[in-house]
Amino acid sequence: MDIATLKARGLIRPVTAAPTQPDAFPFGLGSHGVHEVAETAYGHWAAATGFVLGMLHPTQKGACLWICQSNVSRDAGHIPAAALQQMTGGREPRLCIVVHKSAEALWSAEEGIMSGAVRHVVVELEEADFTATRRLALASEKHGVPVTLLLPHTCSGATAAATRWRVGTQLSAMNRHDPRAPGQPRYRAVLERCRSAPAAVGQAFDLEWNDETLSLHMVSGMAAGPAAPHPAPSFATRHGHQRRAG
Amino acid sequence: MAAGIHAGLSLKDARSALPGLLTEQIDRESDAAALLALADWMVRFSPLVCTDGNDGLLLETTGCDHLFGGEAGMAAALSVRVAEAGYGHRLAFAGTPGAAWALARTVAEDGAPVILPPGAERTGLAALPVWALRLSGTVLTLLRRFGLTRIGQLYGIDRKALSRRFQSREAVEAVMLRLDQALGVRAEPFAPLRAPPDYAARLPCPEPLSDSAGISEGLSRLTEELCAKLSAHGLGAQGFVFHAFRSDGETRSLTVNMARPVRKPAHILRLFRERLDRIDPGFGIDLLLLEALRTAPMEAGSQPLSADLAMTITDLGMLSALSDRIQARLGEGRVMIIQPEARHTPDMAERRVPFTGQLPEDTPPPPDTLPGLRPIRMLDRPEPIDAVAEVPDGPPLRFVWRRVVRRVVKADGPERIAPEWWTHLPTPGGGAQAVPRARDYYRVEDEHGHRYWIFREGLYDDGRGNHPDWFMQGLLA
Repeated sequence: MDIATLKARGLIRPVTAAPTQPDAFPFGLGSHGVHEVAETAYGHWAAATGFVLGMLHPTQKGACLWICQSNVSRDAGHIPAAALQQMTGGREPRLCIVVHKSAEALWSAEEGIMSGAVRHVVVELEEADFTATRRLALASEKHGVPVTLLLPHTCSGATAAATRWRVGTQLSAMNRHDPRAPGQPRYRAVLERCRSAPAAVGQAFDLEWNDETLSLHMVSGMAAGPAAPHPAPSFATRHGHQRRAG
Repeated sequence: MAAGIHAGLSLKDARSALPGLLTEQIDRESDAAALLALADWMVRFSPLVCTDGNDGLLLETTGCDHLFGGEAGMAAALSVRVAEAGYGHRLAFAGTPGAAWALARTVAEDGAPVILPPGAERTGLAALPVWALRLSGTVLTLLRRFGLTRIGQLYGIDRKALSRRFQSREAVEAVMLRLDQALGVRAEPFAPLRAPPDYAARLPCPEPLSDSAGISEGLSRLTEELCAKLSAHGLGAQGFVFHAFRSDGETRSLTVNMARPVRKPAHILRLFRERLDRIDPGFGIDLLLLEALRTAPMEAGSQPLSADLAMTITDLGMLSALSDRIQARLGEGRVMIIQPEARHTPDMAERRVPFTGQLPEDTPPPPDTLPGLRPIRMLDRPEPIDAVAEVPDGPPLRFVWRRVVRRVVKADGPERIAPEWWTHLPTPGGGAQAVPRARDYYRVEDEHGHRYWIFREGLYDDGRGNHPDWFMQGLLA
């Protein structure tokens, strides 16, 4: 049995990750290298989290190491397992680590990369400097484990990460079943830095979450609400009915 | 003693007898702590040590004395060590704890240990006073009244005759029990301070170690030895304790814990190395001891060459090793997994538990985890918000959360989650408990596109308290 037959039957696969185009969206985010995802302004942490979860490679199987600085989780809350299941579809195990300092978070991330036990490392932290990100980038390159750093809006300055995204939330898409209810979440991700494709810096991507394919789609226009305004019944009539029933 | 000063004398009397007397307040707590530390340090002679009263130590030396060249050699080594640490001591070896107690407190002198060969208790104790049998004051008084002052006098007395004379059954039983225990007729329980480890390795150092390189080298030798022992029995251990005995009578200990049983020397050494610099060698360390705790059988399976060929995707062994390394550095309980719980309230539906080498079972998700229904970020505890609703049972028009006014443009709900009535059953004593209220959850979006999961605790006409309050539970994707 030659190599081609084995490959065709799916018995062998290349050990390295599938080749991706580092010069096209998402520029390697979630598949290899160190990437930073920051919120546009205070309060957009949920959008940044949604963007990261949407970009977690669905074909990658294995445990995920999720490191969170305690200040961040106190302010923005934690990610329940139900949300992870909704967003990634998989039920991959997740190892959570709560740390107090950024240095501890970065050290744990490096340990996780080098352990060979996890397939993805996500770090939520307050700040990351050039030296620390450079260390992570070298380790990530050597061991082939992607790292995503979730940073607050205050992060700035040069780091060794491959890309930096600024993610903010947008008005949700129209809900086909109920025009008054929020629809699919939409985000706007701006590429702030990019090593592999400097020409793409400054590009903005409007993304919409699709709960059937469990992925983020690029959308052209952002229409907020129904296209044609029409008088909708007020909340009172909608819920008044329910009240009578109950 | 010569000046007539003895225990039990009041300070005033002692001062009047000897005006230049130096006195110091007795500190029982510090004495007890020092005795415990000394007992810990005695582990170098025998693993079974216990304290005896507030001034004695009892060592079970069976099987240990040959390491020092017999009981005489052990006594000499012990004397030197204890004297170096600055303690006056009296030492006796005997076949029973009672006999050793009696000899140490009567015959033995500082620097002159007494060794009673096993089986010679009857003759060895005959000449000693009866108080050496560990009897209480009233019993001793009774014995003295009958003229029984030496232990040997008790041997020939008929037990029935003794009980007739004493009139007190407890006193007779106490005398007989202590006598039998001292002679080895009845067994005496021995409760060591620390349970002896199942597996241990020790390394005596001919020259005291005074630098961390030496300690590190000693530790790696001990680890190799202990892991070979464990491996021969097919075991692994979930905890290792490293003791360094200093020549000045102090002990330094380090503990590492693992999520799963291990016996790989490199991994154990890696965990110790994080904290090895906390061992202060002082004037030198002359004994190293490594103990294995919580040993358990290890499944020694062969590792798959490639993760793609493995039965399960996650290698629990490697994951546990990662968790061990992180906890050795950052502290215990830092690595957690999320365990689903069968609870109604969303903030209690899952719990963070420390990772113990096992992942939660792959249970099917509950039916309410449809996409978009649950928040992507759940606040650690619901935060109160000021909400204004158009109708009592509707979603809010606007609300204030973290001091910012948010105007609701889209809303969906309510999703009513009933309280867990079984956790609030009325107590039999009629204690007043807060009546649980149902929660109405709404998914709302504000004018800037932020999506929230908020709830109203209680209904307006449920008769379970005042007006319901609004809370922020989490942020939706």
